[in-house]
Amino acid sequence: MLLKLSLSSMKKMMKDYLVLLVGLVISISIFYMFQTLALNSDFTKGNSVIKSIQIVFNVGAFLLALITIFYIFFANSFLLSLRRKELGMYMVLGAKKGKISQILFLETLTMGIVSLVIGTIVGIALSSGIGVLLMNLLEISADGYYPFYLPSVWMTWGFFMVLFLLTSTINAVRLARATELDLIRAEQQTDDVKAKGFGTVLVAILGVALVAVGYYGLIEIMTLQLLGFLIGAIATTIGTYLLFISLLPVLVQALKRNRKLNDQSLNAFTFAQLRFRVNNLTKILGTVAMLIALGVGAMAGGLAFQKNVDLIANVGHVYDISLHDPVSEDQEALKKMTVLEQNTYSYKVNEDAVYYLKDDLLAHPPLISTNDMQNYDPNKEPERIAEPLPANLYGMNEDKDEKTGQKLEELPDEWYQVISQEFTISYKMYDGKPVRVVDQATFASVKGNEHTVVIAKVDDFLKYKQDIKAMNQRQKEQIKPASEDEEVYLTTKYGTYESVYAFTSGTMFMGFFLGVAFLAMMASCLMFKILSGATRDRDRYSMLRKIGVRKSLLVGSIYKELLFVFLFPALMGLTHVLVGMQMFSFILLEPYVNIWVPTVIFVVIYALYYLITVRLYRGIVLPKEV
Amino acid sequence: MSVAVLEVKDVQKVYGKKGESQSHALKGVSLTIEKGEFVGIMGPSGSGKTTLLNVISTLDRPTGGFIQIAGTNITQMKQNQLADFRSQKLGFIFQDFNLLENLSIYENIALPLSLQGVSSKEIGAKVKKVAQTLGIEEILSKYPVQVSGGQKQRAAAARALVHDPAILLADEPTGALDSKNAKSLLETMTDLNENHQVSIMMVTHDAFSASYCKRILFIQDGNLYTEIHRTGDRQQFFKQILDVLAELGASHDVR
Ligand SMILES: Nc1ncnc2c1ncn2[C@@H]1O[C@H](COP(=O)(O)OP(=O)(O)O)[C@@H](O)[C@H]1O
Ligand SMILES: [Mg+2]
Repeated sequence: MLLKLSLSSMKKMMKDYLVLLVGLVISISIFYMFQTLALNSDFTKGNSVIKSIQIVFNVGAFLLALITIFYIFFANSFLLSLRRKELGMYMVLGAKKGKISQILFLETLTMGIVSLVIGTIVGIALSSGIGVLLMNLLEISADGYYPFYLPSVWMTWGFFMVLFLLTSTINAVRLARATELDLIRAEQQTDDVKAKGFGTVLVAILGVALVAVGYYGLIEIMTLQLLGFLIGAIATTIGTYLLFISLLPVLVQALKRNRKLNDQSLNAFTFAQLRFRVNNLTKILGTVAMLIALGVGAMAGGLAFQKNVDLIANVGHVYDISLHDPVSEDQEALKKMTVLEQNTYSYKVNEDAVYYLKDDLLAHPPLISTNDMQNYDPNKEPERIAEPLPANLYGMNEDKDEKTGQKLEELPDEWYQVISQEFTISYKMYDGKPVRVVDQATFASVKGNEHTVVIAKVDDFLKYKQDIKAMNQRQKEQIKPASEDEEVYLTTKYGTYESVYAFTSGTMFMGFFLGVAFLAMMASCLMFKILSGATRDRDRYSMLRKIGVRKSLLVGSIYKELLFVFLFPALMGLTHVLVGMQMFSFILLEPYVNIWVPTVIFVVIYALYYLITVRLYRGIVLPKEV
Repeated sequence: MSVAVLEVKDVQKVYGKKGESQSHALKGVSLTIEKGEFVGIMGPSGSGKTTLLNVISTLDRPTGGFIQIAGTNITQMKQNQLADFRSQKLGFIFQDFNLLENLSIYENIALPLSLQGVSSKEIGAKVKKVAQTLGIEEILSKYPVQVSGGQKQRAAAARALVHDPAILLADEPTGALDSKNAKSLLETMTDLNENHQVSIMMVTHDAFSASYCKRILFIQDGNLYTEIHRTGDRQQFFKQILDVLAELGASHDVR
């Protein structure tokens, strides 16, 4: 009997439950997709590129989980509050509290399981569609990647089941503690029309101060390091909430105080509605602002990282190509490119060490990068090495020959840089032997195979990306015998480019989905809150319509009111992102490249949610026409 | 001199579509209200009072007939014209939910003027004046939850009158009030009618309230049944009303 009643009331609130369900499904399916990317072991094992971005997806899944916990708790307490009155009625009618708690528990759990089933299915579809799209983007093969992957399914179900069990229990406990009267009275709240006093102004000032401190922490992250990040994260968050608690209501009140403006058209009503919203929604608006900052920040961060790939690769490498013992295919490929500079150097390898010929090096001194990540300056051009090498024998990281006891000069820094960054393309290639630079006489006396290394700089690295990739591949094969099963990783410019590109694409990809999930959940929260007051608002709009307010004016008022509600957190969140990007300034050369892309994506999604909310709200509050 | 503020001719209202079960709420009602009149509409519950008020107040469209208010035919108007007409020419007092509880009393009363684009200064003056007439100057800055039910209905009357409407339409305005507050509101309405020449049409099923009117129209089953004029004092009129109601067989409706 009670079960029947509860079912029928759930049916009545279908729309609310549907909104909750959509939020959950989005979260679960994205969580699942991240898990397939992070857990598919065959796939990640065979792929050095994916390995490096696995961590990104784990971080993404963790963040998503955090927000989802918040969302589930919020949404559930909201739904509970919607139903308090009804549940109270059951109690008054004589239903036992234990029984009602039980039903509530089952309801919440059922809801969770339904969303898990749908979410997993959507997640599998998402993984097989978009996950594969990601792999194409990264130019890696999807071999061994299964969109339907059991460990990922278990992971997702395990995590969310625990979450749902927890919220169900909390809901039930909360109900068990409330009395019948608590429940019935719950809904009879009236608009708070009290004026904000001096205290609120103080809170507003405190909020501004905290946000300023937080921003300072983020901007000065270079010097403050981890402390800066902590200060930034904590102070900004608390400051944001304080601002939404204080500044916003004060602002709206100021609007209302302006007689002229307030007396105009329907403004008095619009502002009054807005005042109610900002007083009622402080916490959620603050949360929305923080979520926007996180979501857009993740997107912007990923994108900025990706756009900085060339730059990062360029800092460590002046030469686009490094070839050891090039084969004819390499020569062919080089001939087709516009080569700006190409140098060939000889070296010999014996049992003890690797020997580079000093005269070769001095005859064609190479360029070295004068930039580094910490103090990047796009105007710094590479410089040619002018450092002479007067001694006969130079060593890198060794001061004497182990066998002969012969003394070795320390190789000057610039030459050291060239040999370690441009010549040495894999830590495996010399088998850990020391590298020396020697004069002609010593070189001639070394008994060992003679090799050459070719370094070349072309007009446009990205133009020949495919050819260079093939060269890289051939170099890998050369080195391979030394290390049978392990994947060889090359520190050539292309190797660096490839791994940074994968990492950043992964971050961007994750940021985008994280952003979508955040936005979806956040917008559902906002929608819940707004729609939950809609029935009471209906009387207001119908009265206004009766006394002769044009429908267009009422609609305009709704657009205006909700625009403000949506606008404030958006502005706040975007400001956080703009400042927060400073945080990356010590790893990213130009953190603000293409910041407009995530901003536009966000604005479009957000605007859509705004329009949907207005639509739904209109449908509820505006009276039917005759 | 007699000028009609309201002319209703052979108005019909049928609920429900053709072919389905239809209900004839009004079956051809005609009536005229002259400027400065205080007319009551009475009848048993379900007789069509609210329907009549709704079609007159342009909230509902009649299925047939003709309605003219202050010289304007409202039966052919479009939605927006109707809304504008309501906001400019009509004043409303409903049984409940008259005031927006998130606006101060002042803002509630000012609303019709704001909608017409009256300047802030002029609004201030007009609100003050109407508030004086209704004796609610003291509570202008308060919010509806902070004042009594009687004060709320006075504020509603002020909101209905602030823009000088052609006619004040009231649907059971005393329905939610206790007898003391009801009496005071009715006295105020009488004062508005007698000393400020406000034309009033009030729907009620309560004989006591109706006794404050100058003329009462009785409807039954969607038809005009009879009408009585007040000639003597209020007590006498009250008895007269009870007699008609008894005739209508609706004595159970009387409080
Ligand atoms: N929206 C409607 N749809 C169908 N029938 C209605 C509607 N409103 C009123 N009626 C019918 O019209 C008749 C008159 O109703 P109403 O005008 O509300 O009476 P009163 O206000 O005198 O009690 C009643 O029989 C009622 O059932
Ligand atoms: Mg009625």
